[in-house]
Order: sequence, then structure tokens, then C-alpha cells
Amino acid sequence: MEHLLEFARGPLFRLSFALMVLGLLRILALDLFELYRAYRQAGDKTVPWGKTTLKALEWLVPIRKVFVNRPVYSVFSILFHIGLLLVPIFLYAHVKLWQDDLGLPWLTLSYKWAYGLTLLTIITGLALIVGRIANRTSSFLSRKQDYLWPIALLIPFVTGFICAHLGVGPKAYQALMLIHILAGELIFVLMPFTKIAHCVLMPLSQYVAAVAWKFPPDTDDKVCTTLNKKGEPV
Amino acid sequence: MRTKRITPEERERAFKSLRKPDVEEKQRLHVRYHVEDFDVNDRPRRFLEAFAAILKHSNYRMALEHFIRMSAKCSRCAVSCQVYQATGDLKDIPCYRSELLLSVYRRHFTYGGMLKGRLLGDPGLTDEKIQEMAESFWNCTACRRCSIDCPSGIDHGLITHLGRYILSEIGIAPRALVVSTREQLEGATGNTSAIPVPALTDTLEFLEEDMLEEKQVEIKFPIDVEGSEYVFFPAVSDFLMEAETLMGIAAVFTATGDSWTTGTGYFDGINYGLFYSDRMLERIVKKIDAETRRLKGKKVLIGECGHASRSAKYFLPTYCGGKDAYPVINIMEYTYEVFKNGRLKLDPNIVTEKVAYHDPCNIARQGWIIDKPREILKAFCKNYVEMTPSGSNNICCGGGGGTVSIDEIRPYRTTIGGKLKADQIRRSGCHYLVAPCANCKKQLRELVEDQKIPVEVVGLHDLIYKAIIFDDSLKVKKIPAEAGTGEEGK
Ligand code: SF4
Ligand code: SF4
Repeated sequence: MEHLLEFARGPLFRLSFALMVLGLLRILALDLFELYRAYRQAGDKTVPWGKTTLKALEWLVPIRKVFVNRPVYSVFSILFHIGLLLVPIFLYAHVKLWQDDLGLPWLTLSYKWAYGLTLLTIITGLALIVGRIANRTSSFLSRKQDYLWPIALLIPFVTGFICAHLGVGPKAYQALMLIHILAGELIFVLMPFTKIAHCVLMPLSQYVAAVAWKFPPDTDDKVCTTLNKKGEPV
Repeated sequence: MRTKRITPEERERAFKSLRKPDVEEKQRLHVRYHVEDFDVNDRPRRFLEAFAAILKHSNYRMALEHFIRMSAKCSRCAVSCQVYQATGDLKDIPCYRSELLLSVYRRHFTYGGMLKGRLLGDPGLTDEKIQEMAESFWNCTACRRCSIDCPSGIDHGLITHLGRYILSEIGIAPRALVVSTREQLEGATGNTSAIPVPALTDTLEFLEEDMLEEKQVEIKFPIDVEGSEYVFFPAVSDFLMEAETLMGIAAVFTATGDSWTTGTGYFDGINYGLFYSDRMLERIVKKIDAETRRLKGKKVLIGECGHASRSAKYFLPTYCGGKDAYPVINIMEYTYEVFKNGRLKLDPNIVTEKVAYHDPCNIARQGWIIDKPREILKAFCKNYVEMTPSGSNNICCGGGGGTVSIDEIRPYRTTIGGKLKADQIRRSGCHYLVAPCANCKKQLRELVEDQKIPVEVVGLHDLIYKAIIFDDSLKVKKIPAEAGTGEEGK
């Protein structure tokens, strides 16, 4: 068990982390490249960049959007995301792991905050799952991954919470810690290939929607040629 | 904004198809709009071929790639959509509708999808799915209200637009739109209402006589005047149905003295290409460019029409020279400008009834023209009321995306598409509903008629025509005999 834990915490962590970073960078680069190419091809290049940036910011800090549609869901979703982002990055136990290696200064969450935020994430995550099942429209739209993802994301939170805040025996602690780490690593590896990719693509959405209406010129002729429709009447 | 769901009886009426069963059988297509005969064989393959060709020569791939990764399936968009709010049918949720096309893209145009399809033995696109898209994409009015509140930034209007484009390439498009576009691009008259030039000039002369009589001012519709500042393209149907709007516009130009002209070579602002085919969109936009060039005009002036304005403003630069393309302005921008500069005077004592303003989606959604017409109205209408939500968050009239031109789906438009709008109009209690768009006007008139709301739907310039004050120097001292009562000249 000790060895397994060491392995999961060491090489496996580094590998999965690297895969996540590379994977996310890859899709971000592809998205940016496509965006750039579309813009270059566009016949009309007057994109309202300023307005689009404002819209993008409005979604990154979605305070103004909360109460427009489905307010309860939106509040829970925002709180869930806050926990998801803050806890793994600023948890003292996590920071210590790489700080020992790198020696970089880093902010950490106090015990009280870590406790509260973790609990908040778990509660809001569960509420989102229940909400998805209970809401007629979103349960109709939902795919398997829409239920599996919140569950998957909660595993490290629940196991971590138990290990850190509830007294468990050393055996159980090790087992839970192993699940904690492996689940986290699985999430890392899957992120770039699933809807969780929105963590890097989200800021681009408004730009994509704006540029998408900018068409390249002379496509009538080209599409006709490709489809063998040249000279065909309307 | 929520509304009462439609009753089963209303549903039945709204979805009743006027298509003959034998035609449906032959076309193997169950939709509510008429479709010209098309090759019914091998539809999935031809759909995918068209999709591939369009992807190859367009920018859509960028958006689709982004959207398939982003969708959160949160259903916030269901709250925004006036169609879903009226029907409560889960298949009308915008995200569901878009997924119809996104799933085809994912399955057939991404490596992951192709691999998964092969491994799971998924047959991919089927006739049934094409049928569902053919129905669904014409239930949507492409108003894009749902996109405002989608956290994933998915533009369902764009997907509806693309879905209809691909369908039209395999022959599935509303006959009403195709026939009009054919006349516009290949017909003898060259416009969607099939108005011959002599009929146009007659109409304009007739209106001039009317205006002289009513206002004692020689208000002209200049025709084919080369070198004019503005070349005018209204929705051509205005020449048949919106005389008051046209007279208002002519009156404004007479008051300011600026040069404008209507060209006999081409005088139609309508562009159904925006609703069903980018290829048609391009061809029609090029006709506006050619006519402006022929007349050596300086700017393109679009009349009171949302989709005509949007298709010219955003696609003239696309297809006709980028930043060198002719500038496009909507008539309300012009009128606002001259009003602000004090070149247009309006009598505040003429229109005393309650007035409300409806934002046409195509000019308001992206925040282009929202406050200008309101400022003008508030300045001379004593009793202006606002409907909420409005502006870029407005509610569609229910006839957007070209659906208003499909007469056979009127029951759908007035019981489902326009339901939220009808609620809103009723609440406002207005007498005049100002809708500066040919499409909105037609839809709203049918809506208030079918929903029995006592409202008069007018254009902005209809009211301006009533209230305009001309300089004394413009008044004719004596009306020429033949234009007077109209009796002597006949
Ligand atoms: S709001 Fe956007 S992400 Fe949410 S269900 Fe609708 S389209 Fe999907
Ligand atoms: S574009 Fe308008 S009609 Fe279409 S799905 Fe969105 S809100 Fe509904």
C-alpha cells in the first residue's frame, strides 16, 4: 500500500498532470488557431472586440447573469465552481507537496476555510446532481457524462474531507488517500477530452460566437463547384 | 418571462398541416410548410455531402468544434425561448434542437465520433433524423434570444441557420422562400414581390399625388438619380403594403433636402438567403452592390426592415469588398441623425394615443439599433409606453427567421411563435404598436388579429408622416389641377 501510494503520489501524479496540461493546451491552441483562421478568411473583419470581451468577462464573473434564468441552479453552480477551483489549488496539504520541490511561495487556505469550502463544494455538487434529475428540462437534455462528471469530481473532495477532518484509522486513511489521488488523476487525464475542457475554452466562447457570423467571401461558387451544382437554377 | 402553455386544442390547430397526404408520401417528409419536389433518394448521403462541402468552404467548423466541447446541458436556454415557453415540448428546448445538428457533426466529422460510430455499429445519420431537423429548424424563429443566456456561448440561431442551409442543398426548404428568391435572382421582375418597374413607378407617382394633397408639399420619390447620397432598398413588399411608411420616409427626405434615390435596376432589400441559404444570401447581397454601383450612389439605405438591414450591413462587407464595401445604414439611423440635428420637426400634439415600440430581432439583438427610434418616439408621442423585456433582450414577434413569409404556417406563428409577444402587447395596452420591420409588421398584424388584440401595427415613419412639420417655404401655393382631387387629370 505504501508503495502504491508513493507511486500514485509521485510518477503517476506527474504523468497525469502533464497529460492534463498538454491536453488542455492542445485544445486551447486548436480553438485559438481555428478562431484566427476563421477571422483571417472572413470577408468582413469588423468584429466588436471590446463588446465581445465585456460579454466574455460577464460570463467569467457571472454575477449579472445569475438571476436572469434558473437562479437557484445558477447560484449552486457558481458556488460549486468556486470550490472546485479554490480547494485543489490552495489547499495547504496540496501546496506543501510541490512547494517542497519548487520552493515557490503560494497562498494557502486556512483550516477553517478549507473545511468550509470543501463542504460547500460537496453540498452544492450533490444539489446539482439532484437538481439535474429533478428538473424536467435539464434531465431531458442530460447525457451520461452530465451525471458522471459531478460524481467523479466529488470523489476526491469526499475522500479528502474524510481523511483531513474525520478521524479514521490508518488503514482506512491510506485506502481513502489512494482513491483520492487516483480519482484526481483520472480527472486530470479525462479533462481535455470531455466537457470539462470548458475550463480553458470558456473564455473564448463569446469570440467564437462573434466570429462565427463572419463568413468567407465567394463561397457560393466554391460550394457549387464542390457539389457539382454550377449553373443550376435556384 | 413565462407564459401559459398552449392548450391541446391550440396545439392541434397550430400543428395542422395543409400538405396533401399524397405529397407527404411522395416526398417522405412530414413538415408543415410546402416543399417543392426534390430527389428523395439517398437523403442521408446527400445531406452529408452538402454538409462536408459547406464545412470546407466556410467558417462553421470553428463554431461547431467549440460548441460540441462546451455544451453544459443546463437548460437555461429553455427559459429564454418563446417557442418552448409556449409549447412546453421538450423537443423545443434550444439546446435539444442544436444537438440535432451537433450530433451529426460529432458522428461524421470528428475522428472520435467516427471511431465510436464504427466501434458501436452506429449507422449515423438516418432519414428520420433529417425529418426531425426539417421540422425543428423551421419551428425556431432564429431570433437568438436563447444565446444571450447560454453560459456555453452556444448560438442556436447560427445552428438553425446552418441546419437550414444544409437542408436546402438537398432540396428541403420552404417553397414560399425558394419561389420568391427565384423570382428575385432569375425572374423577369428581379424582386421577391414580382413588381414590374412600370408598376413601381406608377405606385410612387400615385403616392406623390396623395402626399401633395394631404400635406400641400411636393414630396418626391426620386428614381434613378445618379450620384445620390443614398440608394434606397426597402423590403419590396412595402411598395404594396406599407405606403404610409414609404411616404414618411419620402417626407423626411423632403424636409431635409438630402439626396436619395430608388433604382429601377434593383429595388428590393429582402434577402431570404439569410433564412435558408448562404449561397442565396451572397447572390442577393451582390445585387444591392451592383445597383448602388450603377447609380454611383454613396451609401446603401435600407428601409424599415430588420433582416434586410442585417443582411446588407453585415454581409455587404463580407461578399462585396470588406472595408471598401458601401456603408449601409438603416433609415431609422438617418432619421435619428437629422432629428437630433434639428433638421426634422415633429408636432407633439398629433399622436396622442398610447404608443409602444417592438424591437425587431435582427437589428436589436446585437445591440445595433435600440435607443434611436425610442428617442424619436418619446420626443413627439405624449403617451409612450415600454414593453419589457426589450432592446437586445426583446421577445421575437414570432415570425422571425423567414417563417412569416410561409403563409401555410400562420396558425403556428400566431398560437406558438408569437404567444409571448401577444401577452406582452396585451399588457402594454398600447394603441399603436411601432414595428419598424416588414416581417414583424406582417406577423404582428396577423398575431393581433388571431389573438384579438385591439392594436394598430405601424411603422416608425407612419407616425412621423402624421406629425411631420414642413418649412413654410416647401408648401405649394396652389395645387396643380391634375394632382388636386385627382378627378380632372383622369
Ligand atoms: S443554455 Fe447553453 S449549455 Fe445550457 S442547455 Fe442551453 S444551449 Fe445547452
Ligand atoms: S433562436 Fe429564438 S426561437 Fe430559436 S431556439 Fe433560440 S429563442 Fe427559441
